Amino acid sequence: MIDVNAYLGHFAFRQLRHNTADSLLRMMDRAGIERACVSSAASITYRNAQSGNEEVAAGVRGQSRLTMFAVLNPAYAGWRDDLTICHEEFGARGLRLYPRWHGYKLDAPECLELCAGAASRGLPVSIPLRVEDRRQQSWLVDVPDVAHEEIAGLIRAVPSAKFILGNGSGFIGSSLGKPGGAALNYSIEISLLTAAIQDELGRLAANLGADRLLFGTGMPFHYPDPSILKLKIAALPEPDKEKIRSGNARRLLGL
Amino acid sequence: MNSPGRISRRTLLASPATLAAGPQAETLRAIDCHAHLTHRSNPAWERLDRALIDAADKLGIERLCCSTLPPRRPATPRSWRECNEWTAGSVRRHRGRVLGWVHVNPGYREALEDTRRLVEDQGFIGVKLYNEYRADEPVLFPLVELCIQLRVPILHHAGHTMWLQQSQPRISDGSHFAELARRYPEAAIICAHVCGGGDWEWEIKSLRNSPSVYLDTSGSVADEGVIEMAVKTLGANRVVFGCDMSMTASVGRLTGARIPESDRAAIARGNMERILALRGTGKGSR
Repeated sequence: MIDVNAYLGHFAFRQLRHNTADSLLRMMDRAGIERACVSSAASITYRNAQSGNEEVAAGVRGQSRLTMFAVLNPAYAGWRDDLTICHEEFGARGLRLYPRWHGYKLDAPECLELCAGAASRGLPVSIPLRVEDRRQQSWLVDVPDVAHEEIAGLIRAVPSAKFILGNGSGFIGSSLGKPGGAALNYSIEISLLTAAIQDELGRLAANLGADRLLFGTGMPFHYPDPSILKLKIAALPEPDKEKIRSGNARRLLGL
Repeated sequence: MNSPGRISRRTLLASPATLAAGPQAETLRAIDCHAHLTHRSNPAWERLDRALIDAADKLGIERLCCSTLPPRRPATPRSWRECNEWTAGSVRRHRGRVLGWVHVNPGYREALEDTRRLVEDQGFIGVKLYNEYRADEPVLFPLVELCIQLRVPILHHAGHTMWLQQSQPRISDGSHFAELARRYPEAAIICAHVCGGGDWEWEIKSLRNSPSVYLDTSGSVADEGVIEMAVKTLGANRVVFGCDMSMTASVGRLTGARIPESDRAAIARGNMERILALRGTGKGSR
């Protein structure tokens, strides 16, 4: 399995256990996860997200099973330099955006430029719809989820880019979950999808194709087990499950 | 010797997915203390109720403690009575598999007569309350006293957020259950869905010194560490497994938690069996 949604480092509002490279790898071993794409949890609230990228770059050095995704903030000084450094020096294989936490809209000119830049470098852009359930947020913040249609607008605006939509649900009710309702240049990570009763996972596989779904867990924010169970009980053919577990991520990340 | 293409048991057991620590979901033999049947104003209710049981089959959940809730709030005798009738029908159809919670609004005196009737005559296992009143408000006291008399638990909706929830101004949190338990230490109170979206650390800590309050693990939030903290703070004997329809998140939290297997078994079923044994309801599994 390849987990496209994992983190290293501290989060400002809750203790994360297993948030170092070594402890995350032990968690991956326990869950049977071969490789994880990791980004900085600290960069979600650092003013200068690049400091968190430096921490992650140090953490993944020499760890072939951890693939760095860089958190970029196109509303902050020096992001173009950060992109270059993260890609060319740190070896990041993708980017991660937090528009609500970092205070910009996805249709901001700098964000469009960033996504186009990612596309020209062959880096997918991962957008988590949420970090925490809004009901458990600290008294210091009130950060809504990223709206599905705002993301759909970005996806249409930068057709050359490849997007990963993570930590989200409710796609079925938006253009992102409908067959032919949006562009083809995005994939959806499964950690917050239902696989039982409402079965959004199965419905998205039917609407978009299993090629467009990616395994992810949200470790170490989350236990990895729910995502593993979702695939286990999903009413999908085994070849489709295998694509979701790892095949699609391998293709997307060029692994 | 294995034929080509076939996987031996030894190979299977050595595979990474199988080596994943923690028990397989199917072996949980769990009791889901917090489930809901679909209100019949939803035209898909039959399919959704069937999907709930199918999911339970796949995930090792042997018994589902179910209520049916009216979509319009506050609940009235008319609206909860049809819900309880539907629940009773499901209990009869899936005997031993579906157990029934009485759902009432304690602001009506009919709540008492309906609770007594459904528990004594139809074997309902206890009372499920929503958010019409906070758990420590005096309007609840007669119903709590009745539940003590009947020896049945109260599963109470809950959540702690850092701001007033406009849609739920009287939602209860752990502090309200702690106060109710101080007044009625003999009541079996279950604080609902600690993983239902509020601050679970706050909720767990607020219940530390209320030994008669149990914590239901249900909800959609799969935050790593929640089960371990609940066990460490409250003791495994006060934690009861629930899903509240978030099936894989809830089962995955329990199978993924790094706790002793005896604690996992107690949470999965043992504690709820003990609660149900107070009255002797809910016996028999499939």
